[in-house]
Amino acid sequence: MRSILALAGKDLKLLYRDRFGLFWVAAFPLLMALFFGSIFSSNDGGSRALKVAYIGTGDSARVASFRDQLASSSALLVQTMPLDSAQGLVAAGKLVAYIHYTDTSTGAFGMFGADRPSLEVGMDPARKAEAGYLKGLISQAYFSRMQDAMKPETFRLVLDQQLSSIDSSADLSGEQKGYLKGFLGQLDGYLSTFDAGDSGRARAGSPFSEPDMEFKDVAVARPGPRSSWEITFPQSLQWALIGVAAAFAVSLVMERTRGTFMRLRLAPINRLQILAGKGLACFVASVSSAVLLLSIGVFIFGVRISSPLGIVAAVLSAAFCFVGIMMFISVLGKTEQAVGGAGWAMLLVMSMTGGGMIPLMAMPSWFAGLSNFSPVKWSVLAMEGAIWRGFGWGQMAMPLGILLGLGAVGLAIGTIVLSRTDG
Amino acid sequence: MIRVSDLQKRFGQIVAVNGVTFEVAKGEIFGLLGPNGAGKSTTINMLVGALKPDGGEVSIGGNGTPMRASVRRQIGSAPQALALYDELTGDENATFYGKLYGLGGRHLRERVEGVLGLVGLLDRRKSRVSSYSGGMKRRLNLACAMVHDPPLLMLDEPTVGVDPQSRNLIFDRIEQLKMEGRTVVYTTHYMEEAERLCDRIAIMDKGQILAQDTLEGLLAQYGGRAVVTANLETSPPPTLVMPGQLEGDLLRFESDRPVQEVARLTTEGLRFRTLRIDRPDLEGVFLNLTGRSLRD
Repeated sequence: MRSILALAGKDLKLLYRDRFGLFWVAAFPLLMALFFGSIFSSNDGGSRALKVAYIGTGDSARVASFRDQLASSSALLVQTMPLDSAQGLVAAGKLVAYIHYTDTSTGAFGMFGADRPSLEVGMDPARKAEAGYLKGLISQAYFSRMQDAMKPETFRLVLDQQLSSIDSSADLSGEQKGYLKGFLGQLDGYLSTFDAGDSGRARAGSPFSEPDMEFKDVAVARPGPRSSWEITFPQSLQWALIGVAAAFAVSLVMERTRGTFMRLRLAPINRLQILAGKGLACFVASVSSAVLLLSIGVFIFGVRISSPLGIVAAVLSAAFCFVGIMMFISVLGKTEQAVGGAGWAMLLVMSMTGGGMIPLMAMPSWFAGLSNFSPVKWSVLAMEGAIWRGFGWGQMAMPLGILLGLGAVGLAIGTIVLSRTDG
Repeated sequence: MIRVSDLQKRFGQIVAVNGVTFEVAKGEIFGLLGPNGAGKSTTINMLVGALKPDGGEVSIGGNGTPMRASVRRQIGSAPQALALYDELTGDENATFYGKLYGLGGRHLRERVEGVLGLVGLLDRRKSRVSSYSGGMKRRLNLACAMVHDPPLLMLDEPTVGVDPQSRNLIFDRIEQLKMEGRTVVYTTHYMEEAERLCDRIAIMDKGQILAQDTLEGLLAQYGGRAVVTANLETSPPPTLVMPGQLEGDLLRFESDRPVQEVARLTTEGLRFRTLRIDRPDLEGVFLNLTGRSLRD
């Protein structure tokens, strides 16, 4: 085992010192993810607004007024629809949330007593960040509707003006003036309770307290990718794996052409240990590249991994598969040029047919059958399954099994051919 | 230490090694001398276990075939192709090969420092091999072969393409290794190297050993007689018995004792304007054995 670790350590050191090789392994895949992610992001209709459904119950004027207030926010795309339709679309992942506004109060503003408006917000409980953001937007809409009219200082100025004008009014009878003075005087007294800073009970029924807002969980059956990055990062991972496989396939043939492979065989280790060392280095480099790219995706671009264990299994299986592919490619020729050329050609075809360049969902249907022969397809599927497709272990079993199987076949072919070609 | 009997190796229709047999004693430097394509490297590759013989046997140190890992552990091999990693430093190359032979920790560090010092590369140990000269790479190639302190060294043309300074350093180190009691098998197509370093020499050509013996034995058996060539200053006295044919003033003759013969001629009144004595050497041995020059 020590010899295998020494061999792997040597290969990783050589890869680290090859700046050009590192570019293909780490920088190029990241650039691909950023490039295509940006393109797809800008095609989302030019807006990153939250798509929500609106359902109003009660006083039609106030329901419409609140809807208009919500729609005036550039952060929201509001569609009015029945509650059951809204729930269905949220469950299907087509909408971020539904907002059900109920206002059955009878008062002028409908907000001074116990029958204040209520809000029900239904959304995927996993979307915690959006939930907080949405709550803020709803509160903003709720308050902005009345804030100008109901600011205590503004309202008391109006009251003062009205009280002073009552006496001089010629249109009002004495009785009417008495009632109005009494009413406005009581309203003035009501507003003074807020001046005194009496919180708690007094505020509970005030128009300035937060709306009654209840969040309801909506089970999302098929969430879909939450952003373009969740499509492009799994794709870019394939480029990292391809880059590592190509680099190590060429390095293996370089060992043979430059005589170091022969020298390794003179050491008291067997051929399998030599190949295991090379394979281990390729595996570690593949996993490291994947971890780096996923970390960037998660921490910078908000890619959310729905199954952490699933992504670990996907990355390890894909890395193993590409170690096998590397071993197979390394015996496709006897020179660096031959292996490099044949290897890249083969890997590019795998990538094109497997959805490593353009997502398979954007390809014609007949292409799906062809893509089944590409390990890239299964690698992308396994990673998407763990990131946004919401695959369970049963659904993950097939892509993981295919990746492991292809890796084993590649390893076997490469090892057998290498054994024969080098005596 | 090494016993090789009736070794055979073919590459397709080409017979690379055909019935090679020899033995090397412990502490001996044994040379395989021959032109390019003679089968020296193929032979040494079978000795180190890199190639499997088609026929015959190789036994190392009484432990058997070098195809076994335990036998290869006793062998240090410096292949003709520089088997080094250019993007690693000299220190890292030697350390890596040491690890493959099971060395580790402080012992490995001491061995690496020791062998790099031995080949004069301590001051460049932290430089990448890509910045080394050809001679430095050859010396590092030798250091990597010695890092695990093997009792047996197989050196395949270790001075190809090196500068005179590096060549002399390599010679000195090989002589030092012999003084330490190590056994060395050394292939070369330079007769001067074989003459200087080897206790016994096998002359190889076309996959076969044509002759093997000490330098003196080979010269005596196959080197022929010394050749004396001289331009005379004066005509020889009429009574003088000439040892060879005289053409004008040019005298040429062969002799087993050339110095004594020239001394006799001088005593008897012969005067030379120029005088040259060509003693037999390995070039002559090869010429006599094959009818071709080593450099052909």
